[in-house]
Amino acid sequence: MITREEIIRLTNEALKKEFELTDEQLVPTAHLQNDVGLDSLDAVDMVVVLEQKFGMTLRQGYDIRSIVTLNDLYNFIEKLARDHEAGK
Amino acid sequence: MILSPKVVITGMGAVSPYGAGVAPLLNGLFTGKGCMHTVPELEALPMVKTKVAATVPEMDFSYIPRRDRRSMSRMAKYAYAAARETLQSAGYETAPQGLGFFMGSTLNSISVWLEVSKNCIENHLELVKTSDFLQIMNHSPLATVSQALKINGPCVGASDACATGLMNVGMAYLAVKTGLVSQALCGGTEEYHPMFSACFDIMQATSHNFNQTPNDACRPFDKDRTGLVCSEGCGLLFIETEENAKARGATILAEIAGFASNTETENMAYPSAETLRQCMEAALKNAGISPTDVDLLNAHATGTIIGDIAETQAANAVFGHSIKVNSLKGHLGHTMGASGSLETIACVEMLRRQEILPTQNLHTPDERCAPVTHVTTAQKMPVNTIVKNSFAIGGNNCSLILRRSL
Repeated sequence: MITREEIIRLTNEALKKEFELTDEQLVPTAHLQNDVGLDSLDAVDMVVVLEQKFGMTLRQGYDIRSIVTLNDLYNFIEKLARDHEAGK
Repeated sequence: MILSPKVVITGMGAVSPYGAGVAPLLNGLFTGKGCMHTVPELEALPMVKTKVAATVPEMDFSYIPRRDRRSMSRMAKYAYAAARETLQSAGYETAPQGLGFFMGSTLNSISVWLEVSKNCIENHLELVKTSDFLQIMNHSPLATVSQALKINGPCVGASDACATGLMNVGMAYLAVKTGLVSQALCGGTEEYHPMFSACFDIMQATSHNFNQTPNDACRPFDKDRTGLVCSEGCGLLFIETEENAKARGATILAEIAGFASNTETENMAYPSAETLRQCMEAALKNAGISPTDVDLLNAHATGTIIGDIAETQAANAVFGHSIKVNSLKGHLGHTMGASGSLETIACVEMLRRQEILPTQNLHTPDERCAPVTHVTTAQKMPVNTIVKNSFAIGGNNCSLILRRSL
C-alpha cells in the first residue's frame, strides 16, 4: 500500500519537474494558484503528469475548484489511491 | 489626393544557424562562414539522398518565463528571442501600444505534432497536454510571442511556405502604408525537422552531391547544384511610418519602397519565369521606380535546378543581363518560412555597408540560367535599391523593394 509520505514525495517530484518549482514552494498549505502560481492551463497539465506518475486516472471526479491547496491535492490523490487499492 | 506615408525599417532581430542575434548572422554572412552539417537522422535513411542541413545551435531559453515558454515550440522560442531583439533594436523595452504583428511559418512544430500524433495513434490521448496543443496551432509562434511580449495590435500570420517571411513583411508594409497600424513587427520563423529534407528529397529538390563537404552543398546558379539544403531560424523587422520614426528619434535603417505578390497557377512546385517577371514588375510599379533604378536583385534562388533557371530568366526579362544578382542560400541554406525576412535583414545591411555579398559556392554559372551578372565576390559599390524575392511551393510569389536611407 502506498503511504501518504510516498504520495507527497511523488506528487512534489512531478510538480517540481513539470512546473519548475522549488522545495520551498511546495509546503502543504501552499495555495496552488496564489502561492505555487499554477493557472487553469497548468491545472489541466498537472492531471496529465500526475496520472503518469501514479498510473491511475485522476480526471474522473477531479474538480479543480475543490482542490485549493497542495494538501487538498495530496488528500485527493490519497483517496483515489485507497479506492484504487480497494478495487473500487 | 491622400499621400500615403513612407514606410521605414527601424529594428531587426534574428535567430539563425549562426546563433542568436543579428550580429552573428551578419558576421557569418559577411565572412562567408559555413554553418551546414550532416544530419544523423538523414544518414540513417538510405532512401533519402540529402544528408545535410543547417540548424540553429543549441540554446538555453530558460530565461523565457515558464508560463510563456510552456506553450512555445522551438520555432516560437526563436521568434521570442528575435522579437525581443527587434523591439530593443527599435528602441523599445516593451512593445508599444497597438503594435501590429505579422509572422508565420511553413508548418507548425513537426516534432511536437509527431509526439501528439503518436499518442493519438497509440490510443494514449490522456498523455496529451494543453501545452502540446498550444504548440501545434498553426499560429502558435504568433500567438505565444504576442502573449509573452504583450503585443496588442492586430496579429496576423500569413503562411505561404518559403515565401512566408517576405509575405508577412509585405502585409505589414501594406498595413502601415494604409494606416491600419503605425508600427509593426513582421517576418517568419521555422524549425528544422529531418522530414523537411526527406519531403524535398522526394520532390528531387535537395542537394545530394556534396554530402561529404556540407558547406559546399547549397550552390545557387552553379552548374553542379542539385537542390536546396534545409535550414531554420527566425528573422523579424520593426517597421513604421517615417513620420513616426522621426518623431521619436529612431534610427532609420532602410525604407521599404514597394511590394507585390502574385500566384503561379500552372504548376504547384515550379514558378514560371513569366509569373515571376510579372511579380517583380508589379513591385517596381508599386514603388514607382524603373528597372534601371535597381542596383541588386537578392534572389530567392534556393539552388534547385528549375527554380534558379526560372528566376534568372525572369530577372533577365525585367532588368537585362547587367543586373547584379546574388542569393544567400549558399551561406544559410533555405530557412523556409524565415528565409524572406532573414535575408531582408542582410539586404538592409548591404544597403548600410554599401557592400554586396556574393552567392556562396557559385563557381561556374549554369549555362541553362539566363544571363545576369552574378555576384561571386563581395563588392564595395553604391547600393541604393535592392529587389528581394521570395517564391513558394504552392505558387506564392512576392517581391519587396528596399531603398537605402539617406
